[in-house]
Amino acid sequence: MFGAASLVALALAATPAHAFVAYVSNEKSNTVSVIDTDSWTVTKTIKVGQRPRGIEFTRDGKFVMVAVGDDDTIQLIDANKQTVVDTLPSGPDPELFTQDAAGKTLYVANENDNTVTVIDLEKRARLGDIQVGVEPEGMTISPDGKTLINTSETTNMAHFIDTASRQIVANVLVDARPRFAEYKHDASELWVSSEIGGSVSIVDPGKHAVIGKVTFEIPGLRKEAIQPVGIGMTKDDKTAFVALGPANRIAVVDTATRKVTKYLLVGQRVWHMAFTPDEKYLLTTNGVSNDVSVIDVAAQKVIKSIQVGELPWGITIAPGIAPGIAR
Amino acid sequence: MMVRTVALVALAFAVSATAARAADSRHPDWPCAQAKVPEISLAAVWAGPELGDAENKWKDDGRISALVSKLAARKTPLDEAEKAVKEFLASSSADKTANAKLLFAGLFDTLNAQRSQVMSGLERVSRKQREAADKIREETIQLQALQDAKPRDDAKVDAMSNQLIWETRIFEDRRKVVRFVCEVPTTIDQRLFALGRVIQQEME
Repeated sequence: MFGAASLVALALAATPAHAFVAYVSNEKSNTVSVIDTDSWTVTKTIKVGQRPRGIEFTRDGKFVMVAVGDDDTIQLIDANKQTVVDTLPSGPDPELFTQDAAGKTLYVANENDNTVTVIDLEKRARLGDIQVGVEPEGMTISPDGKTLINTSETTNMAHFIDTASRQIVANVLVDARPRFAEYKHDASELWVSSEIGGSVSIVDPGKHAVIGKVTFEIPGLRKEAIQPVGIGMTKDDKTAFVALGPANRIAVVDTATRKVTKYLLVGQRVWHMAFTPDEKYLLTTNGVSNDVSVIDVAAQKVIKSIQVGELPWGITIAPGIAPGIAR
Repeated sequence: MMVRTVALVALAFAVSATAARAADSRHPDWPCAQAKVPEISLAAVWAGPELGDAENKWKDDGRISALVSKLAARKTPLDEAEKAVKEFLASSSADKTANAKLLFAGLFDTLNAQRSQVMSGLERVSRKQREAADKIREETIQLQALQDAKPRDDAKVDAMSNQLIWETRIFEDRRKVVRFVCEVPTTIDQRLFALGRVIQQEME
């Protein structure tokens, strides 16, 4: 009896309940590393175009899109074959992109010609361009899909774009060099990180006004070393994680008080991040230490680092259980 | 023909040397594309307990200072160094925290010093290169004058163009070395961070 129970327990323990797959773009080595979140190892390194940065799974989990800026295109990686199978027509030097909730439309920020390209993902065809501020950078879309946010590095603004008319409807001034924008899941707030300003501005999306700011202070570290970039928000919107670049830390922020509750030392020049779908883990890319840190979200502790390619930049995790792994 | 080629090459150099200069006005002699970060701050690599007197005491401990020199040496592969840290801390049960602090303090001092040395070396070479570029530029003008002189002294033209070939070659070689050495400060940063991370993990 006892034996049978432990056998069952063993069998359960041996079955990886949550094997997900993460794709990491390595800006300098022109590759994408594939990480298995069960063994926490790199299972494959895929050769892609030049200077891969923005990277995201399609909503159906079948493809990974990666912006290869120096090749002026977005490549599509087949998640089953783990090779590049097609390209999408972006403008020059695409850096970051976002897709609507249905996964039908893709919006790409082209750093070099001050436009956002709109792409039909099913037809893989370009639908048009939207003129935005100088050096468009951060991109996100409101949960209802009606508003596209684009941040401009040079004008220090977050542009609110109506996705139906493709017109800018509002501009909100934030701190210097806005890099990334993230909505709360309930759409009540938009968080915008400013790399040089060293802050995160909290914007009321209805009023188009800054209603609060998150600031960071790490004893012994010069202010210039604190450069907020990537933002991750838990599904309950209670906790935000902010990557602080060369401060080598992730700040854990209580969204109610807008104060940092903890700093986690991860890797060098921490840039972007992604949650596993079960939200147990948060993975961050660390550009200088060339690795990915794994944070246990509940414990708020760094549990592992995984070496990837050179200058890891972006990261995306498959929306469901990985194809081919532990079904 | 030969002479003209040399002169053109030399000129191209002088120009590119000028263009490469002073990407960051605060550090005019810094020759690298990588931004110059004069020193690694402790907080950027350490989130563990305060180091306190470990910052001075690590040198007094023979075992620690020997291990520090081994771990700080670039010829020791990083994964081997990480293993050595784990073994050392695993074997020092009671004084684990104290030893960890001493070891990190030693690595921080040593690697920061190593890094400063590499960086000042780079700046020294950069100044020399600037002088060499100026010299090549001047000699190119002299060579042109010699070529245009009537009557023309072929022996002098040859001697001068040979000299220019050599100087240009040395300049080019040094430039390649500089580009390679520019990666070293980052390599040192990476080593310090990686070893610091292992030490902190072992302390938990």
